[in-house]
Amino acid sequence: MGLFSYYEQDSFLHRLNPTIKLLAIFLAVMVLTLAQDPYTPGTFLALVLLTLWLAGRVPLKVIGRSLWPLVVLTLPFFVFNTLYFDVGRAANPHIWLHLGPWIVAREGAVSGLALSLRILAFIACSLFFIATTDPSDFALSLIQQGHVPYRFGYAILVAYRFLPLWTEELAAIRAAHRVRGVGGNGGWRGKLRQFQRYAIPLLASAIRKSERVAIAMDSKAFGAMPDRTYYRELQVRWSDWAFLISALVLLAAIFYLLTVLGLTSGFGSLPA
Amino acid sequence: MSRSIIEVNNLSVRYPLRREPAIRNLSFKVAQGETVLILGPSGSGKSTLVLTLNGLIPHDIEAEVKGHALVAALDTATASLEALTSKVGVVFQDPEAQFCTLTVADEVAFGLENLNVPREEMDNRIRRALEQVGLEGMEHRSLLRLSGGEKQRLALAAILAMKPEIIILDEPTANLDPSATAAFFRMLAPLRGKHTILIVEHKLDECIDLVDRVLVLTPGGSLLTEGAPRDVFATKSARLREYGVWVPQVTEWALTLRSRGVVMNPLPLTVEEAVRAAHLLEIPVSLRRGNARTLASDGALAAQVRSLSFTYPIGERPALRSASMEVPGGGLFALVGPNGSGKSTLASHLIAINPPPPGKVFVFGQDVSPEAGMSLARLTELVGYVFQNPEHQFVTDRVYDELAYGLRVRGYAEEEIHAKVQELLEDFQLEALAEANPFTLSQGQKRRLSVATMLAVGQKLLVLDEPTFGQDRLTTDRMVSRWRRLQEQGITVLFITHNMRLVLDVAEKVAVLSEGRIIYQGEAERLYGQDELLRRARLMPPPLYQVARALEGTEINRSAPLTIDADDAGDHRL
Repeated sequence: MGLFSYYEQDSFLHRLNPTIKLLAIFLAVMVLTLAQDPYTPGTFLALVLLTLWLAGRVPLKVIGRSLWPLVVLTLPFFVFNTLYFDVGRAANPHIWLHLGPWIVAREGAVSGLALSLRILAFIACSLFFIATTDPSDFALSLIQQGHVPYRFGYAILVAYRFLPLWTEELAAIRAAHRVRGVGGNGGWRGKLRQFQRYAIPLLASAIRKSERVAIAMDSKAFGAMPDRTYYRELQVRWSDWAFLISALVLLAAIFYLLTVLGLTSGFGSLPA
Repeated sequence: MSRSIIEVNNLSVRYPLRREPAIRNLSFKVAQGETVLILGPSGSGKSTLVLTLNGLIPHDIEAEVKGHALVAALDTATASLEALTSKVGVVFQDPEAQFCTLTVADEVAFGLENLNVPREEMDNRIRRALEQVGLEGMEHRSLLRLSGGEKQRLALAAILAMKPEIIILDEPTANLDPSATAAFFRMLAPLRGKHTILIVEHKLDECIDLVDRVLVLTPGGSLLTEGAPRDVFATKSARLREYGVWVPQVTEWALTLRSRGVVMNPLPLTVEEAVRAAHLLEIPVSLRRGNARTLASDGALAAQVRSLSFTYPIGERPALRSASMEVPGGGLFALVGPNGSGKSTLASHLIAINPPPPGKVFVFGQDVSPEAGMSLARLTELVGYVFQNPEHQFVTDRVYDELAYGLRVRGYAEEEIHAKVQELLEDFQLEALAEANPFTLSQGQKRRLSVATMLAVGQKLLVLDEPTFGQDRLTTDRMVSRWRRLQEQGITVLFITHNMRLVLDVAEKVAVLSEGRIIYQGEAERLYGQDELLRRARLMPPPLYQVARALEGTEINRSAPLTIDADDAGDHRL
């Protein structure tokens, strides 16, 4: 089971219609982009992960392992945002210390934290969707509820199906080059050249395989008719609507609560 | 002949930018319910013919088509793809590249959906199709968890569900091990007559008893001959050999005997027929090996593996379980076993692609483990390793540079490099291609180049991962004679294969892997006598061996060569 991928399980979230789930997440992300404070994304993050754990029945261990590397990745955002914060922007800055050319202020740290939490909340939203959505259900739902042209929906599905094959193929190419005595020497320049060497055989086999799969699909009358029937028809049930409405209510409630508590300073107003 | 369902009339197909047509003036008919085998060497246009018959040429794939192909009364050039694809179903060679969904039921449903079959009908048709191929109850299985053999059966089920009148199988078993191949063709038997079946296949021993008629294409893509298999093999054997087309092994044996005055009538195609014919003629048979070579080695080992266990980081089960193997120096050594038994994993330890712990793997007496101080540079001077897909190994964009690469990274002088590269170009018949880009070569040329690159710095052990995969007879024969020449130069060749005939023909020693364990190591003829072992490793003895065993109490004498004798008239090499 790879990190940050579909987690097979039977749960409320897994049973939701993928398009509705995507819509709810899209709305949440919209609200998130507007928030400038650390509290909104913080609350989001906690809520999303809690729902994923309880309603999606994805074990905390799996969630943690998927998110951990990304937490590390957001650290530089926090550090740089803190160091390069324009203290002049704050009316009454709380300066903590001077570090050479940098001024570390409370406002800077808060803004850095807000940014990091926001990135993490976006990532958590993606995980929420990816971990609980069967890829073929997603493609089907995009076609059936999202009215995406079916050729496009199937392209997504085939791409997904081929992902593990590319990993295998790349490993084989890497091993083959090692055997030629092409070693991992010579810094980033060597790495770049190595990447170029991998790219050609990988591309050659990608083109060949996709040609083959296209021929196999067309041989089974794919695209021969403007419409097709579906073996599995995904429905939008009342539980889907309930989920969407409660997500909306929750989003509004969070926003309202945080405003009342005065924690959304700068919300909606981008600094000049 | 009953009503013909396929009528090909003076058909020529030429791809854009090609001077020569892939198919030339082809005319033939196939009667409804017939099973026809299409034979021809690599590049004779077999796959082009398949794609023309289901209309993908010219509807999807651009090509200039002259003449006509009528399929179920539809002209493939003008009828709609929808009409054509519902009449003609194709199973392709590559099990990885013909599926576009993630589960078994979805895959079978895919074609039905495209044909607008009502949803209520689908469950029944899916269940029925899966029953026909022996995959019942696997509807919800993920495609990732299917074996190669199961995948090809699923590909057939997906076609059967669409209820085509004509089924075309384009080398369906090329990727399968011997028992999966046999299982695939067994499943095909009850479909004969209900559907018209065209088979493109190199493995004749396994499918010949299903075939009503054979159609042979020439290297230029025209028709050499057609007719009942027996007649074709009896009258055109010289031509088939010249073109490098495989013939069933027992048929070849009978033809050899015939040339020496022993005539079997009718010409046998299967093991049973051969046994019957040999009985009638009272041909005395003894199991001896025709080409046994005494190893010219001093008993030194080229490679040794001592109780090696290995599990891939993401693997659930161990790939190797204390596997032990000894490869004698100077020989041709075969490594066999079912798909997924760990053959490539074991071989890849010899060159430390998977670095073994110290004390486990030795090449010419030297420990290959990096922890024992073996550098990759040094190891790659001892061992050459050729991957299944030769393209993976190409690191430059010129054949010359490709051969020079290993020498250059080792700092050889430019004159020395030039001399060595010239020698390799000649040895491997690549002189004319020195300036070409390796990716533009033909499959056979790519393979030759990849072997040549692996011998440039004087490697003494050559490891080949499935070198004969999908090759016609001529290419295989040439490859084997090349191995023999290498052997004379003192090079040990270890090859992984599913081809049991090749093992008995050329390998002095064979090792059998099953579920990560070496369960046999020794002479090939001794292996084929052990039914229980063969069953465990899902292997099958070559047809001629089966004939010999059926006719004799099987006393195997290693000191004398293994042959099937027909008096003194025939001593046909196995």
